[in-house]
Amino acid sequence: MKSVTTKSVSYCLAASFVPAKRVLKRLAFSLVGLLFGAHAFAQADFLAGIPRNEVLIAENPEGRITNSTWFNIWVVNHGSNSNGLQQLGMDTLWYIDADAGIDGVWDNSLASEKPTYNSDFTEMTVKLRDGIFWSDGVEFTADDVVYTVETQMKNPSMVWGPAFLASVDRVTAPDKRTVVFKLKRPNSRFHSLFTVRWNAAWIMPKHIFEKAPDPTKFDFKPPVTLGPYTLKSFDPNGEWYIWQRRDDWQRTTLARFGEPGPKYVAYIDPGPPDKRVIMQLNHELDIIHDTTPEGMFTLAKQSPSSHGWFKGFPYAHPDPTLPAVILNNQVEMFKNRDVRWALALLIDIKAVSLASYRGAATISAIGVPPTGLYPKYYFDPLEDWLKNFEIDTGKSKYKPYDPGAAQQIADTLRPSMGNQIPSDPKEIAAAFGRGWWKPNPQVATELLERAGFKKSGNQWLKPDGTPFSITLLVEGDQRPVMTRAGTMIAQQWRQFGIDAKTQAYPSDFFPRVASGDYEAALAWSVETWGGHPDLSFFLDSWHSEFLKPPGERQPPRNWQRWSNPQLDKIIEQIRAIGFDDPKGVELGQEYIKLAVREMPTIPLMSYNVFTVMDTTYWTGYPSAEKDPYTNPVPNWANTKYMMVKLKPAAQK
Amino acid sequence: MLRVLQDLFRYNREFAIGTILVLIVLSLAGASFFSPYPPQDSYVVPPDVPPCWGHPLGTNSRGQDVFWQLTVAMRNSLLFGVAVAFLSRIISLVIGLVSGYAGGVVDRVLMSINDTFVVIPLFPILTLFYFMMHDHMSWTLLALAMASLGWPYDARLIRSVALSLRNREFTTQSVFSGMSTWQILFGEHLPYVLPIVLSTTMNNINWSIGLEVTLSVIGFTNIETPTIGTMIYWANQHTAMVAGIWWWVLAPVATVTMTFIGLFLLSVSINEFVDPRSRLVRVGG
Amino acid sequence: MKAYALYFVRRLSQFVLVVFVGINIVFFVTHATPIDPVEQAISSATQFGHSDPQAVEIMRKALRELYGLDGTLPQQYVRFWSRLATGDFGPSLSAFPTPVSVLIRQSLPWTVGLLVTSTLISWGMGNLLGGLAGYYRKNGLLKAVGIAATGLQPIPSYIMALVVLILFGYIWPILPISGAFQMNVKPDLSIPFVCSVVMHSILPVLSLVLITIGAWFVGMRSLVSNIVTEDYVVYAELAGVDRRRILTSYIMRNALPPQLTGLALSLGAIFNGAIITEFVFGYPGLGTLLVRGVNSGDYSLVLGIASISIVAVAAAVFVIDLLYPLLDPRVKVE
Repeated sequence: MKSVTTKSVSYCLAASFVPAKRVLKRLAFSLVGLLFGAHAFAQADFLAGIPRNEVLIAENPEGRITNSTWFNIWVVNHGSNSNGLQQLGMDTLWYIDADAGIDGVWDNSLASEKPTYNSDFTEMTVKLRDGIFWSDGVEFTADDVVYTVETQMKNPSMVWGPAFLASVDRVTAPDKRTVVFKLKRPNSRFHSLFTVRWNAAWIMPKHIFEKAPDPTKFDFKPPVTLGPYTLKSFDPNGEWYIWQRRDDWQRTTLARFGEPGPKYVAYIDPGPPDKRVIMQLNHELDIIHDTTPEGMFTLAKQSPSSHGWFKGFPYAHPDPTLPAVILNNQVEMFKNRDVRWALALLIDIKAVSLASYRGAATISAIGVPPTGLYPKYYFDPLEDWLKNFEIDTGKSKYKPYDPGAAQQIADTLRPSMGNQIPSDPKEIAAAFGRGWWKPNPQVATELLERAGFKKSGNQWLKPDGTPFSITLLVEGDQRPVMTRAGTMIAQQWRQFGIDAKTQAYPSDFFPRVASGDYEAALAWSVETWGGHPDLSFFLDSWHSEFLKPPGERQPPRNWQRWSNPQLDKIIEQIRAIGFDDPKGVELGQEYIKLAVREMPTIPLMSYNVFTVMDTTYWTGYPSAEKDPYTNPVPNWANTKYMMVKLKPAAQK
Repeated sequence: MLRVLQDLFRYNREFAIGTILVLIVLSLAGASFFSPYPPQDSYVVPPDVPPCWGHPLGTNSRGQDVFWQLTVAMRNSLLFGVAVAFLSRIISLVIGLVSGYAGGVVDRVLMSINDTFVVIPLFPILTLFYFMMHDHMSWTLLALAMASLGWPYDARLIRSVALSLRNREFTTQSVFSGMSTWQILFGEHLPYVLPIVLSTTMNNINWSIGLEVTLSVIGFTNIETPTIGTMIYWANQHTAMVAGIWWWVLAPVATVTMTFIGLFLLSVSINEFVDPRSRLVRVGG
Repeated sequence: MKAYALYFVRRLSQFVLVVFVGINIVFFVTHATPIDPVEQAISSATQFGHSDPQAVEIMRKALRELYGLDGTLPQQYVRFWSRLATGDFGPSLSAFPTPVSVLIRQSLPWTVGLLVTSTLISWGMGNLLGGLAGYYRKNGLLKAVGIAATGLQPIPSYIMALVVLILFGYIWPILPISGAFQMNVKPDLSIPFVCSVVMHSILPVLSLVLITIGAWFVGMRSLVSNIVTEDYVVYAELAGVDRRRILTSYIMRNALPPQLTGLALSLGAIFNGAIITEFVFGYPGLGTLLVRGVNSGDYSLVLGIASISIVAVAAAVFVIDLLYPLLDPRVKVE
């Protein structure tokens, strides 16, 4: 027995050598033949059974979906948000665009008009559209909305359950087209729960879910959709999802703008950033969600059919999010405003922009992102105030604002990038931003000394005599550009004499920041609508009533744990006025001025996403110069508006 | 001793090539002390410059000189690899020799422990260990963790040699002449075991550098310290391969390949030298 | 025969012991992780969308209850082992309420397929070429192959995968670079599906084989070159036995047993390199599942995958230990 096994194995191995030369030659030829055949095979049919020019292929930044067969988007840790489910299959009452919108920033989607509040914001009435049907033929009515709210209130482990529980007292549907919300406390922005800015409370199909024994354990497969697409097929391993345009697309809210162009839309997991670039060069990926700046530049150079949001530099779409140096205001050394300002005056934003985005950054010195329509509402009106803003160190007076910072970045890039860099000041302002704080180590020194810090040799010391050291938390390779920015900032602090270092924390980053167990972090606590000037989306949560003591978890979004009585007054005033009240912009500007004076965080730039679109098979993508009708970043639910504008490209 | 080395160098081509490669790598690592740029700083030179006179290996997208980064990276990686190999050799030697010599219950217990360590999946444990430590994670800790997980294969190997040695005549003789167990193990048996230890050391250095590269690519180590792994990590962060900055990737990969081949050739030729029969074959007998 | 039966029983009890200890270690390490799956879930649910501070508190409480994270560590320990008896690892915390066993079952065949294929190819080719190189020492071609194989070994798997991808996916785009099978194909046992699986596996297998073939080659070559100097080989050569016969029956057959042991042991170690290859090629195996599990603090999932791999490797070692004395008559069963 023992001999047979080894004998046969070894004989097979060795005996194959002698006729091997002949066999190898034959094998080699047939292999080459097979590969050429495979080449033809691979080119012809990237997706089996679907012609390439009928499908739009987009990247799902969530990668491979773990819970791949789960479509119940209302359960926490459901399968996926952005595999097409929220972009193509879901719908809710209103959408606000991050940019200009197809027909204005505000869109009444399932609702037929804007929400109506009573005088003290304790009641909200919604009127719904007619003639909207679910993909299985059942009509959408107010009962669906009521069911959505009541079911999630009964099950607080569902995504919007806690939000509804906190605000809603009762919800009723007096008729098929009307929903009335009675609120527990005055909330002038209650409607924002149903207003899509990336996502919102999606409406559940009552007739499907009421048949399930437990809505939190129901997988909703295949999903019954309210949007213009249904699920055609998907990978049980979570790598790709293919959606097909509904035959009755006229019975969805998107039909007001026309017929969706792509018959099929596929959301796929394209792997690491290098691979995404290769796939678009092969025309196998129409929309890249995000890649590195270097990947973007490679595509710009090698693929004439690929373009970003901007025609030239910086290419990227500035998302309405504001990466900043978040300082933990509850940490002893950061309690003094002078210290925070000193740290801001040590940062050279030009170097940070070059290090992180290779210069393709849109900088912002103030506490709102320079995106969408915000330049009009906040940046231009405050430019003069910023230029005149003065710091008094006790020893000297200093005007820190440098209005030409973005211009200088553009000038630095022009020699190597040529006419990809705009020269028109308006274009530079739109692409690169406006001004930032001029670095000044002398003023920083005076501020630190006033705060009781001393310099001993090359090392700065805190008032208690211990070395002044800062650990800056960065997200690591999950967010490479921000990591680079953080590394550069720590380096600049180090050069000044502060013992600064970065620490990459790739997986548990936001929970760690929320726990307060950090000194400084490169993250963001400001996110806005983008198209609409109202700041409550983030600002409301900065009220001191939500501030937790050190050691306890801070709820989003006041990661910097800043509290200021003037800020509270501003927030309370905003709460008391309507969403569209123009006084809101004034109050927003007051918040910005307060944040400049106090510097609780050091704003840097907008979150630029290198979304790259390939015009080989489809044209009509949004772009900054020609048609900024929506955010091109494909994981936003707002990208459903792209579908009606996309048309097949003329085949060469 | 010196004569032997000289002879080896002159007549054994593998030894010669191996020595040269290892010397190149060591001098690279040594050159790191003369680096004109602080190793952790970025944007000290213009980025993305291909190899030229001022920058023999070009510069990378972070504005660092690739050559000087490489020297520091090589030094750190070598130190790390040697530390891990050294620590795990000690463990595997002790366990292997004791287990093989003592036999019986001691052997079975030690081998059960050994097999448990063989069977534990390395990667998830290291990542979990990283999360447990996060703030206090350092290269020393990682080296200790890897050393305590990298000894089982070699312990088994050493044990099998020790098993065969146990029954040899000179062992029984040593026992009769009253030598203590430790004296026998480390005086008599160790020289037989050393050739295997040498080749496994080289394997172990390679394994630890490889694992360090894997962990760094995912970002689980301190990314600000230049090592071979973190150089590749940063190159990937900047999609260097697709952007055409091939020299940034080629330099660390080529150097680590050189190291590996050099160490490997050295160990093979020393192995061959120590075993008299293969020496005979080489001479042609 | 009786000695063998005793040996079998002893090795079996060792197998059980090793698996038990291994799973215990993984259990305690996973439960010592500071990553809280509830906080991870909350963070991912509130990261982009609208967030209300009051709502977050309510969500936290509700999730704790839902995940069954109540109960002290000893209670969770007992619950874990009682569930394990039925092969149930409980629900995954990052993909609630899908059971961990379902997730593993989806990914396991792909990992096993990839690993087994690439290991067998690399083992078979490596041993064949290494044996020939060890015997025909003067052959220039074999020496060149040896240098190439050794040189490829230290290349990190990420770089190798990318190079293979660029070569065959971009410069000469003849092979698919993403996924386990073509998009929009139904995963049943039809010819198009099987063909598609084979085509999609070529590049990942190639990149794994290139890195691992060197070790087998070198090992076999040194084994063979040692055996070549053994007396019985010299005797056979002098006696005029056909060279091919010497290579197969005398040399290779004696070199195989240690290589077989190595094969079993390496099935466990190759898990590490496969993770990155899976990630680059979008291959839906256990490796990427594991990394996601660790990143989201989903210790049920991590525990499940780690346990499976412990059992698999221990079983492989066990089987090899049983076969070894049957294969190599020189080994005495004590």
